[in-house]
Amino acid sequence: MAQAIIIKRFLDELGDMSRFSSRFFIEWFKPRYEIAEFFKQCYIIGYKSLPLIGLTGFIMGLVLTMQLRPSMVDYGVESQLPAIVGIAIVREIGPVITALIFAGKIGSSIGAELGSMKVTEQIDAMEVSGTNPYKYLVVSRVLATTFMLPVLAILSDGISLYGSYLGVNIKGETSSLLFWTQVTNSLEFYDVLPAFIKTYFFGFAVGMIGCYKGYNSSKGTEGVGHSANSAVVVSSVTIFILDLLAVQVTDLLGFN
Amino acid sequence: MAKEIINNIKLGVFVLASLFIIILLLYMIGRNRNLFGSNYILKATFENIQGLKAGNNVRFAGIDVGTVKKIEIKNDTLIEVIMIIDKKVKNIIRKNAIVSIGTDGLVGNKVVNIIAVKKEGEIAKSGDFLPTKRPIDTDDMIKILQKTNTDASVVAENLKYTTTQINQSNIVWSILRDTLLYKSLQKSIMNIHLITENANETVADIKKIITNVKNGKGTLGSIVSDTTIASNLNKAIDQIHSVGKTTDTLIHNINKISLEINSKIENGNNIIQSLLQDSMIPIRFNNSLKNIESASNGLNQNMEALKHNFLFRTYFKKIEKRKSTEDKNK
Amino acid sequence: MISELQKIIKDNETIMSISNLYKSFGSNNVLTNFSLDLIKGENTIVLGKSGSGKSVLIKCIIGLLKPDSGNIEVYNKNIPDLNGAELDKIRAKVGFLFQSNALYDSMTVKENLEFPLRRHWLKVTQKEVNKMVEEALEDVGLLHTQEMMPAELSGGMRKRIALARTLILKPEIILYDEPTTGLDPITGKEIINLMNEIKIKYNTTGLIISHDMNCVRLAGDRIIILLEGKCYASGKYEELKTSENPKIKQFFN
Repeated sequence: MAQAIIIKRFLDELGDMSRFSSRFFIEWFKPRYEIAEFFKQCYIIGYKSLPLIGLTGFIMGLVLTMQLRPSMVDYGVESQLPAIVGIAIVREIGPVITALIFAGKIGSSIGAELGSMKVTEQIDAMEVSGTNPYKYLVVSRVLATTFMLPVLAILSDGISLYGSYLGVNIKGETSSLLFWTQVTNSLEFYDVLPAFIKTYFFGFAVGMIGCYKGYNSSKGTEGVGHSANSAVVVSSVTIFILDLLAVQVTDLLGFN
Repeated sequence: MAKEIINNIKLGVFVLASLFIIILLLYMIGRNRNLFGSNYILKATFENIQGLKAGNNVRFAGIDVGTVKKIEIKNDTLIEVIMIIDKKVKNIIRKNAIVSIGTDGLVGNKVVNIIAVKKEGEIAKSGDFLPTKRPIDTDDMIKILQKTNTDASVVAENLKYTTTQINQSNIVWSILRDTLLYKSLQKSIMNIHLITENANETVADIKKIITNVKNGKGTLGSIVSDTTIASNLNKAIDQIHSVGKTTDTLIHNINKISLEINSKIENGNNIIQSLLQDSMIPIRFNNSLKNIESASNGLNQNMEALKHNFLFRTYFKKIEKRKSTEDKNK
Repeated sequence: MISELQKIIKDNETIMSISNLYKSFGSNNVLTNFSLDLIKGENTIVLGKSGSGKSVLIKCIIGLLKPDSGNIEVYNKNIPDLNGAELDKIRAKVGFLFQSNALYDSMTVKENLEFPLRRHWLKVTQKEVNKMVEEALEDVGLLHTQEMMPAELSGGMRKRIALARTLILKPEIILYDEPTTGLDPITGKEIINLMNEIKIKYNTTGLIISHDMNCVRLAGDRIIILLEGKCYASGKYEELKTSENPKIKQFFN
């Protein structure tokens, strides 16, 4: 019985979320376009996340390289270290780690911001002030996350590879030209493009879930906290599910 | 307002930076695949391309000069490989250069090798067909080597049995009249000697290479990543070992026999009558010797092929060099 | 777009007419056959218990909620029938003061005030905007707070800023959602005085939702008691206070 209720609630929320998301596709074509707000959100969501994402990317590249080195030495293929790390970072670790950090930082902040706006009637106030709050708040934020996450993921890839370059040079010696050549030699277009495209979906999911959770926040400060928390949890899980789908689709299309 | 403009400028720099990175990355990958820049096309036809794929590298004298663009099946025995070659080598590759398919490392990607011949020839133009050489297939080689080894060990087994029989029965001596047989026996022994020597040498060489590989030296490092090949090689080496051993005992036995034969001939003893009772033995003996001869020939050929295989080529060259320097020193 | 709404309505005429309004949430019937007329230049108080549907009523008026049935006629338009753009035209003339002020946390006071201006009238110069913002802040006596963030202000100040934001569009009708709730009695009185000043200065019509008797006594020209989803009683403060009906009496004790 309890299970039935949980399933019902889950389906209810899923349907609600789908309706909320489908509204996005209807609204973002129609004028009026909140361009200034979009750029403002891009600045907040994208630019301001760079230090955090850059730091985690750098550490990830460095640590991955140092962790892989002993096994690579065991197998006598130490020289392949840049190639392996390059593939790992560009294909999987760059996009997914960036998206997860992004979900933690941006998903929660969107959830909390919209949640508190909802609770303190700011969303209603916007509507009364002649503004479509969905457009002003949700569309601009979702577009910003959708377009900023790929940008962040690429920068994170670049910084990770730099970290990896330093990691390679801690115990060995590889010139930056050789490192770069080895990395790009091991990569194909089909490694880069699906990884790049999937970050758009990750960004969309993070923005949309954050907005949904905030927009539908229940009354009270507890509701705001809950919105922020569940925004992070649900978007993180969604990122992994999307990643699984992405790998299957690319596999199906023969890009692996 | 001014703050907003500054923020937008920061945002622009941020987006441009990422755009720069992805374009650089894609450009570098593209350059490696010869998608940009000027180039021209060369073609070659093969019977078997051994898993060559579009995008594999084309090398001229070991330098990456292009990639395989397309592979077309013309008919059941003719496959056309179309290669994109960098314009920089346009005035270098000649029409008579030979195209072959090789492997980058023992288990690496397939590569197309263009090798110049030391003869005058026209400069190849875009769209020209270059002559091809049937590639050495390492797999095939190892298979043949293994088969030969098994054959050789069977022959050796037969031989051992025969020699024991000969030793036990005193009826062999009828053979002694046959000088032809004696000669062929000697030849066989010589051959076996040669085989064992070769085999020993090869085993030693392979051992050395394997130790090198284990230490991760050289391009052979990648050999390790494919364990089946490694185990195949090990197996082959083991078998070469056992052949060596059996041939050793065999030679020992034959030596003994020939010594006895020699002394018997000198002494002029005639105890051969009873030998004729068993007419089968000489025939079997002949067969055995023939087998040994063919096996040793095959083994020699394999050794020769092994010498020419790119894997061991450099090593054998080194040995030759060393020998020649030693000769000079003498 | 303003001009078409600028039909002169004389004092003591009906400016807004609500009739037969029904609204329910599931099985909970909040409004059942509610009717009310707003007279121009008069502050009308809707008095009722918590959860009696007062907030639902004004949210229906401003178009945030759609009533199940019934009419809300303002400027010859029926609000439930309007689409987004038409509704925005009405909203420029009908101000709404939120119970929780609903100041945008991420914007300064000035930006908060600018927001409805920029949203409703696209063609205003920065100079005009500055002038209007100053005027509205002067009306509430908080001219010095222009560059402050809402979080830095006290509760009473925030309420005034919210009122200034409502006033900036020069509305003819202002809907007050519990204007004194959450404020101390002294600040509450200040706000009530402000509301009365505004009524006189701009000749606005007010609809005030409240359960604060101070507010009811001081700000209301006419009082409506919302009970059981209906307009249960209406009249002057004194009239209702002396009523013998126990259901009315309970509000005044």
